[in-house]
Amino acid sequence: MAKLIELKGLSKSFDGEKVLNAIDLYIRDGEFITLLGPSGCGKTTMLRIIGGFETADEGRLLFEGTDIGHVPAYKRHINTVFQKYALFPHLNVYENIAFPLRLKKVKEDDIQQRVTDMLKMVALSGFENKSVSTLSGGQQQRVAIARALISHPRVLLLDEPLGALDLKLRKDMQNELKTIQKAIGITFIYVTHDQEEALSMSDTVVVMADGEIQQIGTPTDIYNEPKNAFVADFIGESNIVDGIMLEDKKVKFSSHIFDCVDGGFAKNEAVDVVVRPEDVDVVEPSRGMLTGQVTSVTFKGVHYEIIVDIGGFKWMIQSTDYVAPDAYIGLYIEPDAIHIMKKSKYSGKFGDYSSFSDELDRLSDAELAEEF
Amino acid sequence: MKKHLSRIYMCLIFGILYIPILTLILFSFNATNSTAVFTGFSFRWYAELFASPDTFLALSNTLILAICSATLSTVIGTAACEGIYRMRRLPAKLLNSVTNIPMMNPDIVTGMSMMLCFVAFVGVLQIDYEQFGFFAMLIAHTTFCLPYVILSVMPRRNELGKTYSEAAMDLGCTPLQSFFKVELPNLMPGILSGFVMAFTLSLDDFVISYFVGSSSFQTLPLLIYSMTKKKVKPDMYALSTLIIVTVFLLLLLSNIRSSKKLRKGGGRS
Repeated sequence: MAKLIELKGLSKSFDGEKVLNAIDLYIRDGEFITLLGPSGCGKTTMLRIIGGFETADEGRLLFEGTDIGHVPAYKRHINTVFQKYALFPHLNVYENIAFPLRLKKVKEDDIQQRVTDMLKMVALSGFENKSVSTLSGGQQQRVAIARALISHPRVLLLDEPLGALDLKLRKDMQNELKTIQKAIGITFIYVTHDQEEALSMSDTVVVMADGEIQQIGTPTDIYNEPKNAFVADFIGESNIVDGIMLEDKKVKFSSHIFDCVDGGFAKNEAVDVVVRPEDVDVVEPSRGMLTGQVTSVTFKGVHYEIIVDIGGFKWMIQSTDYVAPDAYIGLYIEPDAIHIMKKSKYSGKFGDYSSFSDELDRLSDAELAEEF
Repeated sequence: MKKHLSRIYMCLIFGILYIPILTLILFSFNATNSTAVFTGFSFRWYAELFASPDTFLALSNTLILAICSATLSTVIGTAACEGIYRMRRLPAKLLNSVTNIPMMNPDIVTGMSMMLCFVAFVGVLQIDYEQFGFFAMLIAHTTFCLPYVILSVMPRRNELGKTYSEAAMDLGCTPLQSFFKVELPNLMPGILSGFVMAFTLSLDDFVISYFVGSSSFQTLPLLIYSMTKKKVKPDMYALSTLIIVTVFLLLLLSNIRSSKKLRKGGGRS
């Protein structure tokens, strides 16, 4: 796939605060790429620069090799689905979708044909004459997508489009968006802070934090081979412990030497070790590589979430078998479940579950939800 | 008991509000020009009113001036709102306060200062103030109507935000097209109420017109005032009655329209 959009050393500051710091990224034609990160990481700013609503302070934005940094939004072949949809309240569903075509003075017959087709694609046939304010969130969302796609843009930008929808609808829309993208085969650039959304929809995920790209890769790469503690923690649950790489494929952490599959580090280099909660097996203490005391057990439906204290460091383990609180258990970790990362500025900030409680987790989720 | 008291209170308020107006209407149908005794019902003053060319000229002057100044101040005011909206916070606040000053200023001060300004202007250009009459009035009325237009459009503009214009440009509108196709229709309620406010303000302004006006361009309030120097004839009662009835009908119409809109439902505003 050819490079469609290229960002070269893109930087942007607001009131002296750096929001994007020398971003380098290329986006291929026809891919579904997701910019993933916590709020304030610069992902929306990046999207707005690509859409033409902000100009970068430094760096270049290339579209098929030509610099479009100063091309106004209305001349770019890039359309946006806004976070709050931005459907025009003075127009009905039909006129909202027909809006870009009317600007281009497309013939009335063609407009009718294309709007009808588009409504069929987003499953809103028969809604032509409804006022947009009477539609539900999900329906408004579809109208916004239809309106953005009707003029055949090369790229569709989506700024947290599912943020305002409830969980069930969100899942449905995720599938639908993916289907639409496959059907029309154009590039989708999707911004979200929801890691699950990013993993399930994207061809490529770009993880961002503090105005910088932390990692670019396929969803499986990002999940299985996180580059640093931030990525490991942000994508899914992770136990991140300090370790020392004794030699290739030998790592020491929590006072035990483990076999692993990674190499290429200096002798005795300090590293971050990631172990996913679902990759840890609970065994008899005598057979365990590590042993510890269970401090809490939470039933999650599919599995139990077990917090184990191992030498003062709290591990999270997901197991389908029940373990009693306060019990001593052993942990067994396969070599390929251990992932080694170089130390970064995020080392030591994430991956300890000492302060973890369900209540806290829910609180922070609610805070996040409020922000959007 | 409480119910009765509140009824009485209501009647009292409405009485104070409307008895003078009703008296005026009553006496406009008086057969003689007595202001104390109602001697009989007649349309005499209405006939006299329609026979007087002065009154008619003043009425048409007033209407032309009100329409022109309301239109002008609405256009300028809406443009100003667009500009202020795009400014940084501090200059925007400053400009907002500056535009509000004419609203706070006593009319008499505004009137005098404008008169001085126009006289100086006319003196420099050496034109006849009499010929300048209409334009002087137009400028004066537009100026004092402007803050009211901004006051009614600005909240609407802020509420609209920048999302819609961004969406419009994203879909291929130039900034100008975005304004006319997306922003303007959504600002319309604010613009209309600004226009109506400007229109009525211009219609009944006396103080500023008194200072700025000249004998070549008389408005109705000025004419009525000049008549009070002699004796108000009941044909002015007739005129006032006509104005009251018109205003009443207009209000009724706009209320019916807005209640219809409400009943239709779905409207976000």
